[in-house]
Amino acid sequence: MGTSVQVTPLCGVYNENPLSYLVSIDGFNFLLDCGWTDHFDPSLLDPLSRVAASVDAVLLSHSDTLHLGALPYAMKQLGLSAPVFSTIPVHRLGLLTLYDHYFSRKQVSEFDLFTLDDVDSAFQNVTALAYSQNHHMSGKGEGIVISPHEAGRLLGGTIWKITKDGEDVIYAVDFNHRKERHLNGTVLESFVRPAVLITDAYNALNSQPARRQRDQEFIDTILRTLKGDGSVLLPVDTAGRILELILILEQCWGQLHLTYPIYFLTNVSSSTIDYVKSFLEWMSDSIAKSFENSRDNSFLLKHVKLLISKAELENVPDGPKVVLSSMASLEAGFSHDIFIEWAADVKNLVLFTERGQFGTLARMLQSDPPPKAVKVTLSKRVPLVGEELAAYEEEQERIKKEEALKATLIKEEESKAAVGADIPVGDPMAVDAAFPSGNAYRDILIDGFVSPSTSVAPMFPFYENSSEWDDFGEVINPDDYVIKEEDMEHASMAVDGDLDGKFDEGAASLILDMKPSKVVSSELTVQVKSSLSYMDFEGRSDGRSVKSILGHVAPLKLVLVHGSAEATEHLKQYCLKHVCPYVYAPQIDETIDVTSDLCAYKVQLSEKLMSNVRFKKLGDYEIAWVDAEVGKTENDMLSLLPLSTPAPPHKSVLVGDIKMPDFKQFLESKGIQVEFAGVGAMRCGEHVTLRKVGDASQKGGGATIQQIVIEGPLSEEYYMIRNYLYSQFYSL
Amino acid sequence: MASTVQPTSSLKRRDSMPTRESDQLTITPLGAGSEVGRSCVYMTFKGKTVLFDCGIHPAYSGMAALPYFDEIDPSKIDVLLITHFHLDHAASLPYFLEKTTFKGRVFMTHATKAIYKLLLTDYVKVSKVSVEDMLFDEQDILRSMDKIEVIDFHQTLEVNGIRFWCYTAGHVLGAAMFMVDIAGVRVLYTGDFSREEDRHLRAAELPQFSPDICIIESTYGVQLQQSRSVREKRFTDVIHSTVAQGGRVLIPAFALGRAQELLLILDEYWANHPELHNIPIYYASPLAKRCMAVYQTYINSMNERIRNQFATSNPFMFKHISPLKSIDNFDDVGPSVVMASPGGLQSGLSRQLFDKWCGDKKNSCLIPGYVVEGTLAKTIINEPKEVQLMNGLTAPLNMQVHYISFSAHADYAQTSTFLKELMPPNIILVHGEANEMGRLKQKLISLFADRNTKIMSPKNCQSVEMHFNSEKMAKTIGKLAEKTPEVGEAVSGLLVKKGFSYQIMASEDLHVFSQLSTANVMQRISIPYTGAFGVIKHRLKQIYESVESSTDDESGVPTLRVHDKVTVKQESEKHVSLHWSADPISDMVSDSVVALVLNASREMPKVVVESEPVKDEVEDEKKAEKIINAILVSLFGDVKLGENGKLVITVDGNVAHLDKQSGDVESENAGLKERVRMAFQRIQTAVKPIPLSAS
Repeated sequence: MGTSVQVTPLCGVYNENPLSYLVSIDGFNFLLDCGWTDHFDPSLLDPLSRVAASVDAVLLSHSDTLHLGALPYAMKQLGLSAPVFSTIPVHRLGLLTLYDHYFSRKQVSEFDLFTLDDVDSAFQNVTALAYSQNHHMSGKGEGIVISPHEAGRLLGGTIWKITKDGEDVIYAVDFNHRKERHLNGTVLESFVRPAVLITDAYNALNSQPARRQRDQEFIDTILRTLKGDGSVLLPVDTAGRILELILILEQCWGQLHLTYPIYFLTNVSSSTIDYVKSFLEWMSDSIAKSFENSRDNSFLLKHVKLLISKAELENVPDGPKVVLSSMASLEAGFSHDIFIEWAADVKNLVLFTERGQFGTLARMLQSDPPPKAVKVTLSKRVPLVGEELAAYEEEQERIKKEEALKATLIKEEESKAAVGADIPVGDPMAVDAAFPSGNAYRDILIDGFVSPSTSVAPMFPFYENSSEWDDFGEVINPDDYVIKEEDMEHASMAVDGDLDGKFDEGAASLILDMKPSKVVSSELTVQVKSSLSYMDFEGRSDGRSVKSILGHVAPLKLVLVHGSAEATEHLKQYCLKHVCPYVYAPQIDETIDVTSDLCAYKVQLSEKLMSNVRFKKLGDYEIAWVDAEVGKTENDMLSLLPLSTPAPPHKSVLVGDIKMPDFKQFLESKGIQVEFAGVGAMRCGEHVTLRKVGDASQKGGGATIQQIVIEGPLSEEYYMIRNYLYSQFYSL
Repeated sequence: MASTVQPTSSLKRRDSMPTRESDQLTITPLGAGSEVGRSCVYMTFKGKTVLFDCGIHPAYSGMAALPYFDEIDPSKIDVLLITHFHLDHAASLPYFLEKTTFKGRVFMTHATKAIYKLLLTDYVKVSKVSVEDMLFDEQDILRSMDKIEVIDFHQTLEVNGIRFWCYTAGHVLGAAMFMVDIAGVRVLYTGDFSREEDRHLRAAELPQFSPDICIIESTYGVQLQQSRSVREKRFTDVIHSTVAQGGRVLIPAFALGRAQELLLILDEYWANHPELHNIPIYYASPLAKRCMAVYQTYINSMNERIRNQFATSNPFMFKHISPLKSIDNFDDVGPSVVMASPGGLQSGLSRQLFDKWCGDKKNSCLIPGYVVEGTLAKTIINEPKEVQLMNGLTAPLNMQVHYISFSAHADYAQTSTFLKELMPPNIILVHGEANEMGRLKQKLISLFADRNTKIMSPKNCQSVEMHFNSEKMAKTIGKLAEKTPEVGEAVSGLLVKKGFSYQIMASEDLHVFSQLSTANVMQRISIPYTGAFGVIKHRLKQIYESVESSTDDESGVPTLRVHDKVTVKQESEKHVSLHWSADPISDMVSDSVVALVLNASREMPKVVVESEPVKDEVEDEKKAEKIINAILVSLFGDVKLGENGKLVITVDGNVAHLDKQSGDVESENAGLKERVRMAFQRIQTAVKPIPLSAS
C-alpha cells in the first residue's frame, strides 16, 4: 500500500490567519511553516503548542511573518526543537524580518515574546538548502527526501516536495506563476500528478490587472502625488515584496530621470540590501544575465536611499518624497509613526501594496469607504529623567545589591555545603542526608527561619570559614575577579551573531543603549485626510491562474488551506468539478487522512522480457505493451518473465492526445477541406464528420479517456481521413 | 592538426552501429588523458552521453590545442558539464557550441559563467596577436552565453533521464565536482579540486554517496604539499628578502583564481609590515579588475572567513596593491612586486618583464602554481644557464627562480584520503602528467590492494569500458496492482518508461499516472444497400462463428453483432451502417463485412442458399503442418522428422527436438532452444485462425 499521509492544520484555514500545518508521513511529522501575525497573539498558537514537541522537522516556505514569524517563540516557549529547513534567502531574510519586528516592537512597548537571542538561536537550527537539492532525511525519517523548488513571490520562496517511495507530497502556498523583475515564476507546473498537493485558496476569488497596466498605474499615482507637492508612504514588509517595488521604482526613476528622493526605511534596510546583492543566484534570469554580461548588480541602488532610523528621515530636506517603510500592517514600525504624521495632510498619499492582515490598521484603512478618522496609539520610548530616573536608579541599585547579596550568600552556601558534606555522619550538625547540597541552606536563608520539614535539628547553620590559606594568603580563584567582557559582547552578539558582524547602527544603539528608558503611550485620533490607495503587488497568482495551474498539476488528492471561507469553498467546488475527485479543506485540528489508496507492487523486469519489448517514444515517455508471466528471482523478488504460451490478444490502446484545431490544420495541410461544425465537431471533406465527445469541460490531467467518433459514408475519403486520424495516435 | 596519435578505435564508427541500450559504460578522455590541459572526458551509458569539461591545451595554439573532438559525434551528446572557468577546462566551449553539431545542454555554476565570459573575451583579445587561426571570436562567446545554463551547488537536475548535481570543489571560485547518475550508476568527475580550505574558498566536499566510478585529477601525483602556512611563509620570505635587497619580484600567475588568493596574502603581509609600504605591488591585469564584482557577489560560494570579512569591509578591495595597465605605464625604477599573466610566461606582460629582469641576479621570479609542460615557466624551474628571449636572442638566466605552489590541486595525501573515504570501486585518473600519474596509480593500487578496486589511467582517446548489470525494476500500479499476483500468473499491461523508471499499468490508468492520454475512436460508416437484411445475416454467418441478431433499442431497426465487435444496422431501405470501435482486429472484421455487404448488393438478384460447407479439419491440419514445415526449413535449414512425431532441427551441429503438438523444445544449446521455441510460437500464431474474442 501507499505511504500514509495525514494533514492537520494548526492555523490558517478558512481564514487569512498565518500558516502552520502539520503533515505526518509514515509517522514522521513535518511542520509546514510556522507563521504569526503582526499582532503576535499567542492564542493563535494554541494548536501548535499541543503538537510542537512531536514535530520532527520544520519546513519554511517564505521569509515573511505569516510563514515563519512564530518560529523563535515556538522554539523557546512551545517546546519546538526540530531541525528547520529553508532556502538560504528565506533563512537570511526571515532573520532580518524578525529583527525588524523586534526592534519596531521594542521601540514602542515592553515586548517580551521573544528576544534577539531567541531569533538567533531559532535560526541556528536552520539547514539551508538550494533549489532542487534533494535532502535525504535520516533516522526516523529514513527514506523521505525533501527538496525545495522555486515558488516565486518572495526571494527564496519555496514549494516543498516531500517524496517517499516515489510518491510526492507537494506543499505549495503563495506561489506566483508570473515572471517578475527580480524573480522567475514558480516551477509548480513542472510537477504532474503528485499524490497529494497542499495549496492555498487565498487568491481564489481574486483577479489581477495586467502587470504592465498595474505598474503604470502605480507609477502614475505616485507621480501625481509628488507633483502635487505631497509625499507618498508605502507601508511594506521588511525583506520580501519590497525588493520588487524597489526595482520598479529604480527603473522608473532611471527612465524618467526623476529627482524626487526615495527612502527605504526599516531597522535593517542596509543589511537587507547587502544580503540581497549576494543572492543573485536566486533571482530571475534577466537579473543573472545582466550581471553576467555587464557585471551590473540590479540591487546596486542608484535612486533609493537606505535609512535605518526615523531620525535620519527627519534630517532629510523637506519636500515631496517617497518613503518605503515597514511594517505593512501599520501596526508598528516606522510606517506607523510616519502614517500618524502624514495622514492629516491631503496632499499626501498612503499607498498599500498588499492586503493588510485581518484586524490591523492597514486593513481598516483599506476598507471601502475608508474611515475618516482612526484611533491610534502613539507610543514612544523616552529616557527617564528627574525623579523617575532617580527612582529607577535606586531600583537598579537595590536589585544589584540584592543580587550581590544573593551571590555572596550562594557562594557561602556552596562552600558551606562543601563543608557540610565533609561533616561525618552522626554529627549533630548534620542535617538530613537528603539535603547534602546548598539548597537546604538557601531555603533557610532566603525564607527566613523556615526549616525543611525533614531536618533533624533546626538551628542556625553554622560553619567555619573554610577559606584555605597558603604562604601568600587566602587562595583565590582568579576567575572570580575577571571583569566579564562576555556580557558586554553578548549584547552586540545578539545582532551580529548570525549576521556575520553586520548590524545597523540604529538597531545597535537600541541594544547597546543601556540608558534607562520607559514607554510612553498616548491614544489619539488621527484624521485621515491623505489619499489612500491599494494596489495588488502581493505577487500571488490570481484566481484564474491558480485554477489552471491546479488543473495542470492534477494531483490525485488536493488539500486546500489558507484563504477566506468563501474563497476556500469556491476553490473546493471548482476543483471537485475540474481537477480531481478528492478535495479536502480541513478545519483547525481536524486530521484528514490523504493516504493514497494506490495499490502498487514492485517487480523485476527480466532481461529476457526486456530484450523483446519494443518501446515507442512519446515525448518524455517510452511506452510498450507487455504480456508477461510472474516468476521469482533468487532473492525472492517478483520478476516478470516472457510468457511461455502465445500472448492472448488484447484490446489495442490508442495513446495520444488529439487537439481538434491542431488536427484541423494537419488535415488542411494534406489538402482536405475542414470546417468546424458545432461543439467539438468537425466536417472533413465532403461527408465525413469527426466529433470529440465527453471531455470538453475536463482539462489537463483530469481528462478521462477521450472518445472520438468518425462518421461517414463508405468512400475513399473516409478511409483516408481515418488513416490520418490513426497517425495522430500510437497504437499498442 | 594535433591528431598525430592514432586513436585505438574510432568512437564515431562505433556510435553509428545500431545502438541498443546496453549495460556497457564507456569513458574516453578526449583530452587530459595522461596529460595536463584540454580537459575533456566523454562518457556514454545506456544511450545517454555526457561530456565533462571542454578545455584547450595552453601549450598549443589553434586547432592543435583542442581536445580530440573528431573522435566523437557531438550531436549525440546530451549534457555538457563544465567544472570551472580555467582555460584548460572551459576555453574550447565557444568552439564546441558554435562550430560543431553539438545540440545538447550545457551547465556550469553561476560564478563560473560570469567569469567565463570575461576570461574568454580576454583570451580572444590576447591571442589575437599571436594566433592566426582563431578558434572563435567574441561573437561566438556571446552566443555561447545564451546557451549556457546555470546550476547551483547541490541542485539536482535531470536531462533526458540523466540526473546530475554538483559539490563544492575548492580550487577556484565556482569550481564544482559533478556527480552524474544514469540509471542508478553514479559517476563522480572531480575536475580540479582541493580538500584544503584557503583564504577565500571552502574545501571540496565529500559527497554523501559513494560513486561507482570516480574520475579524478592527478595533477600532483604522489607529491605531498607543504602545509599552507609553510608555503605562505616561504612565499612572503622570498619576496621580503628580494625587495629588501633592492630586487624586483615577478610573479607570473594566471589572472584569475589563485591570483586572488595570492593578492589576499600579499595585502595582508604588507598591512602587517609597515616597512614595506613604500614598495609598490602591481597587479597587471585589467581582467582581474573586471572580475572583482563577481568575487564580491558570489560570497555564498566562499568560506565563512570571507563572508565575515565581507560584512565589515570588502576583502577584495586591496589597500597596498595597485593595478597596472601595461608595461608602458610601468615606472621600473626600484624594487617592486609585479604579478602578471600569463602564468606560463608564453607571451604577454609576464614575458616582457621576464625578458627585462632575467639578467639581474638580485631579481626573483616566483612561480606560484602548477606549470604546464612546454611553457617557458616549466623550463626555468630546472634553472638552465640560458634562456631564449622573445626576440629570439639568448640571454643568461641570472635571476632567482622559486617554485612555491599555491595551485589548489589535491596532493597525494588529500587524494588518497578522499578516495579512501569515498571507496569507489572504479577509479579513473585524468589530468596529470604521464609519469606522475603512473606513480600515483602504483601507489593507489597498493593502497587499495585488499579491495577489488580497479584503477585506470587511459590515454587520450583510449576508451575504458565497464559493465554494470543494473537490474531493471518496475512498479506496477493502479488497477493492475490491486492484487499481487502469484508465481505463474500472467500480467499484461502498458509498460511506461520515463527516464530510467518503469511503471506497469492498465491502459485505463495511463492518464492517471502519466501525462499521456488514451483515446477510443468510434467508427460509423454507412453503405448503400437495398437488399434484404437477412441476406447479410446469412452471409455473415457463413464466415463468422458468432453473429447475433437483435433490434436497436432506439429506432427498432434490426441489427447484427459480429463477434461482439462490429455492429451492422439497417438504417433505412437504402443503407446499412457499421459501427465499431477502432482496433486492428475490428478494423479487419469491418473491412470484411463491408466487402461482404458490397458483394451481396451486387449479387442482389440471386439468392442462393449454399449448403453449410463441411469443414475439412483434417485437410486444414495437413495444410498447416506443411506450412509450418516449410517455414521452419526456410529458417533453420536442416529440419527432419524424427521419432514420435518430433522434428529434429540441426544448426551448426547443435540439435533441437521440437514437439509440434505442445511446442516444447529440447536442446542442449539454450540459445537455439529459445530461437526455435520463439519461431514455432510465431509460426503457429500466424497459421492459426485469428482469435476474435479479445480478453
